[in-house]
Amino acid sequence: MFVWGEPEGELGINFDHIWQKTLTVLNPLKPADGSIMNETDLAGPILFCVALGATLLLAGKVQFGYIYGMSAIGCLGIYALLNLMSSSGVSYGCVASVLGYCLLPMVILSSGAVFFSLQGTIGTVLALVIIVWCSLSASKIFISALDMEGQQLLIAYPCALLYGLFALLTVF
Amino acid sequence: MADPHQLFDDTSSAQSQGYGAQRGPSGLGYPTASASPQAAFLADPVSNMAMAYGSSLAAQGKELVDKNIDRFIPVTKLKYYFAVDTLYVGKKLGLLFFPYLHQDWEVQYQQDTPVAPRFDVNAPDLYIPAMAFITYVLVAGLALGTQDRFSPDLLGLQASSALAWLTLEVLAILLSLYLVTVNTDLTTIDLVAFLGYKYVGMIGGILMGLLFGKIGYYLVLGWCCMSIFVFMIRTLRLKILAEAAAEGVPVRGARNQLRMYLTMAVAAAQPLLMYWLTFHLVR
Repeated sequence: MFVWGEPEGELGINFDHIWQKTLTVLNPLKPADGSIMNETDLAGPILFCVALGATLLLAGKVQFGYIYGMSAIGCLGIYALLNLMSSSGVSYGCVASVLGYCLLPMVILSSGAVFFSLQGTIGTVLALVIIVWCSLSASKIFISALDMEGQQLLIAYPCALLYGLFALLTVF
Repeated sequence: MADPHQLFDDTSSAQSQGYGAQRGPSGLGYPTASASPQAAFLADPVSNMAMAYGSSLAAQGKELVDKNIDRFIPVTKLKYYFAVDTLYVGKKLGLLFFPYLHQDWEVQYQQDTPVAPRFDVNAPDLYIPAMAFITYVLVAGLALGTQDRFSPDLLGLQASSALAWLTLEVLAILLSLYLVTVNTDLTTIDLVAFLGYKYVGMIGGILMGLLFGKIGYYLVLGWCCMSIFVFMIRTLRLKILAEAAAEGVPVRGARNQLRMYLTMAVAAAQPLLMYWLTFHLVR
C-alpha cells in the first residue's frame, strides 16, 4: 500500500523541517528555536542555490562559477569565524545549511531583477534591505543554535558581506 | 551517529528505523540492508560500499586537516582574541577614531593572564582587524569598480598585496624588537592585531573618497592617521616600555630612549602605509 511520506522518508528529506526553517528565515523578527539546527540538511539550501542560479539565468546573467566559488569560500570563512567565536564548535555542514536557507530573500531579489532593472536608487535600497534581512536571519539562527550572547551584530556583519557579494552579482 | 568526526549528520537513520529499513551507523561497517523496494537503490551492496568508503575517506581527511591545522595555528590562543561582544567592538571603534579622551590604557590582568577583550576595552582582539581587512579588500574592489577598472583578478591582487605589506611590517617590527633586546610580553598575534587596526581608518578614508571625492578622502584620512598615531603610541608605550615603567626608572637611559624611538617609528609607519595602500584607489 502506497503511503504518502514514505519516499521522502527514504530519501532523508523531512519536508516539515524544511518548511519550519524556511518560515524562520522569512520572519527575521521572531526568535528562533535553537534545536532546529541539530539536523544538518542540505536539501533546502541546494534548492535555493539552484533557484538563485535559475533566476539569474532568466535575467540573462550566466555566473554559476562565481556563485559556487563565492559560496564555498564565504562558508569556509564564516565556519572559521564561528568556531573561533563560540564556546562550542560548529560543523561545516551546519554553517552551509544555515547560510543556504537564509539565501531565500536573495532569490526573491533576483526574481525581481528578471522583471525590472535593479540599477538605480530603488534597486540599491531594495538590495540593501534584502542584505540586512538575510544577515539578520542568519545571525539569529546561529546565535540561538550556538548559544552566543551579545554577538548577533558581530555575526551579522560577515554574513552581510557575503550576501552583499551575492547582491552585487544580482544587481550588476 | 556518535562519530564526532562525521562531516554530515546522518538524518536518514531517524526515519528509516520507523520504516523498517535497518541501517547501521553510517560510516564504516555498513551492512547490506534488506529494505523495501523504494530503498532498493540505496540498499544495493555496491553503493553501500561506495558510501562507506566515501565517508571514511572524508573522516580521514578531516582528521588530517585538524591535526595539521593545530600544528600551525594555535587555535586555543586565537580563541582568546575572538572573545568579543558588540559593546566591546563599538567602544574599540570609537577609540580608534577618537583616542584623545581615553585615560587608562592598561590591560587588566586576572591572575597572570590578561582579561578577555570582552571585559576590557584595552585588550587587543583579532575580530576587528580581520573584518577590517576583508572589508578593505571589498571596498577596494568597489572603488575600482566605480572607476571601471574592476576585474576579479585585481581583487585577488589587492588582497595579496595588502597581506604582503602586513607580513612585512610584522617581520620588520619583530626584527627590531629582537635587535633592541626588548623583553616584552608583546606576542606576534598581539602585534598582528595592533597593526590590523589601521585598516579601519583606511576603509573610512576610501568610503569618504568615493562619496565626496579627493577632499573628503584627504580630510578623513588625515583625521584617521592622527588618531591611529596617538592610539599606537599610547598602546605600544605600555607594552614596549612596560619593564621600565614597572621599575619606576625615569625614561632617560639610552635603552629606554631606543625603545621610545622604536615606538615612535612603528606609530609613524602606520599613517604612511595607510596613505600608500589607498591613494591609488581614489581618483
